[in-house]
Order: sequence, then structure tokens, then C-alpha cells
Amino acid sequence: MGSSEKRPKDAMNDIPTFSAENLQNNLKVIQNSRTFLSIIAGVLAGIIGFTGLTGFVFYFVVMLITSVGLMAKAGFSADLYFDSWNRVLFDGFLGGLMSFVLFWTFAYDLVHIF
Amino acid sequence: MAEDLVLDTAIRDWVLIPLSVVMVLIGILRYFVSKLMRSSPTPDAKMVKEGQVVIRARNLKIGANFIPPKSFRARRFYFSNEENGLLHVPKDQAAQNPQAQMFSDPNMAMDMMKKNLSMIIPQTLTYAWVNFFFSGFVAAKIPFPLTQRFRSMLQNGIDLSTVDVSYVSSRSWYFLNLFGLRGLFSLILGDENAIDDTQRMMQMGGFGFDASKSLSAEKDGLDIIQHEWALPRFEHRAESVLRKLVQ
Repeated sequence: MGSSEKRPKDAMNDIPTFSAENLQNNLKVIQNSRTFLSIIAGVLAGIIGFTGLTGFVFYFVVMLITSVGLMAKAGFSADLYFDSWNRVLFDGFLGGLMSFVLFWTFAYDLVHIF
Repeated sequence: MAEDLVLDTAIRDWVLIPLSVVMVLIGILRYFVSKLMRSSPTPDAKMVKEGQVVIRARNLKIGANFIPPKSFRARRFYFSNEENGLLHVPKDQAAQNPQAQMFSDPNMAMDMMKKNLSMIIPQTLTYAWVNFFFSGFVAAKIPFPLTQRFRSMLQNGIDLSTVDVSYVSSRSWYFLNLFGLRGLFSLILGDENAIDDTQRMMQMGGFGFDASKSLSAEKDGLDIIQHEWALPRFEHRAESVLRKLVQ
């Protein structure tokens, strides 16, 4: 994600101007990282053997870590890279849930049941 | 009640993994097939012109504050003039544009049908295949507990009622794959074509006649802009920038 996060907003403008292309690219980056991490989290949860609520709690913990990581990558100033804070923090939460459940079930079954 | 069933390793080898692999492969195949079959529609000159006008109006809206008031007004007049302004659509034309054009254009109808078919057929086939081959036994265990109401949905091949609801049949494994592989596809296939059937069905509903509706929307958007010229303030901004540099 290194040099691919571009600045859609010129830092010293009073007037907010956005480069739409860069903004979209940044959003795509967020979505990709969330999807990837939710898959990995699913495999991990399955291998460790979480069941029930613990698994979902684990998923949310991983999503929070993702948010923190993304914020750190954006230098803690989301204004430069995105148009609103909420996007960085909460965008792909539920989208990754289904992938998480799938890979969680898969890994859990492979390791524990069979 | 929560006895741990020990399931045959053969189930894992011959059901879970092949089903997932098949679904991934079918998804990839579908992506490539839809790419090949996408007939580039010969663009209608009028539609392209209207699209470009909309883009220009949008640019004007975005950059409105960077040009002097008079020129902004001149441009706005050019767009939303009553008689021959580009964005002004006469009332009678506005009504008949959308639907009639959509269905009388054979190319577009064919395109829609092709897209629909390419989505529905693999799903139906896979579902029938799963039902035929993989029914009547427990396929997987979901790691979280569900209520009894889900039993009929998830366990439809299994006729014992004492089995924990977490033990599901292969049909539910198919559905789980269907939803869960979306994320995987978006990673594998690149960002562009990550959408699958559910999103495409949503797109079907809101089809784009970019014709009259967006034109009048742009016109209204232009009309309500208050022009505030930003340039006089730029001298102050330049001063502050220079001050920061010097200090």
C-alpha cells in the first residue's frame, strides 16, 4: 500500500478540492486490504478453534486492527486522503464478514472435525 | 446434546474441497466468458454528446469558484438557457426518452439478456449438481451455534432431528461459498470485475438512461450555485505560504 496512496486533496487549500481518481484508488486500497485480512482472520480463527461468539469478537478485533493500521498508513490525517473519516474506519466491515465466515468454517472443519 | 460427531475424512476430500474449487473455477470462467462476450455497443452519437455535455457541466460546477464571475455566468447561461441551452430538454421529449429507447434498441436488450444468462446458468447448474450428488449427509460443521429455526434451511438432506443445528448439509456449504467467495474474487480478478450476481441485479434495476433525468439534474445543480470567486483570496494565501517558507 506504500506509494499507492495518493493525495486527492491539496494540503494547503482553504477550498477543498478533490481528485476523484485518487480518492477512488484509495478506497479500493482500503477494500482490498480489508478483504484480504478478513480471509486471513477466518483461517486463523478456524485453526485456533474459536467457536461461537468468540469468533465474531475475533473478527471485529481484526477489523479494528485494520482500521488502526490504515490510519497509521495515512499518517493519522484522513483529511488528506479521504473525504471523510468514517470511510477509513468503517467501510468494509460487513463486506468482509461473509468471507470471514466461509474461511472460518472451512479451516475449522479441516482442522478439528475431520 | 452437543456431542461431537466425527466425520469421515472422505467427506472432506470429496465434498468440501471440490465444491469450493469448482465454484472458484466457475467464477473465473464466468469472468472470462463475460469479457469475451461483451459486444461493444456502437455508441449512439446523440447519447455520447449528451454524456459529454453532462461531464462538462459537472466540471463547470466543480471549478466554478476559480473563474471570474462574469465568465462563470456566461458559461452557465450557455448551458441552461431556455431556448437553446444545452441542458434544457423540452418537456415532451423528456417523457418518451427512457423506456422506449431502452427496449426498442435490440443491441441493448440482447446485451442485458446475455448478461443475465451468463449469471444464472452456472449458478443453476452448480446448484442442481450439488443437490444431485451431495445430498443426504452431513457435510460440515459451522463453528457457531444457531437456533432451531435454521434447521430446516441448513439441514435439508438430513432427517434426524437430534443432530445439532451446527452440522449442515452440503447445500448450505454451497450457499456459504456463494457469498463468501465474492471477496476472494475481488482479490483475484483485479478490482475491475469483482461484482457478482447480487450487485449486477441491483444494477439492472437502476439502468442508466443518462438522458433527460441527469440533464435536468445537472441544470438544477448549476442553477443553484452561488458564485464566490476565490481568486482575490489567493493573494493572502500566497502571502501565508511564503511566510511559512521563509520562517
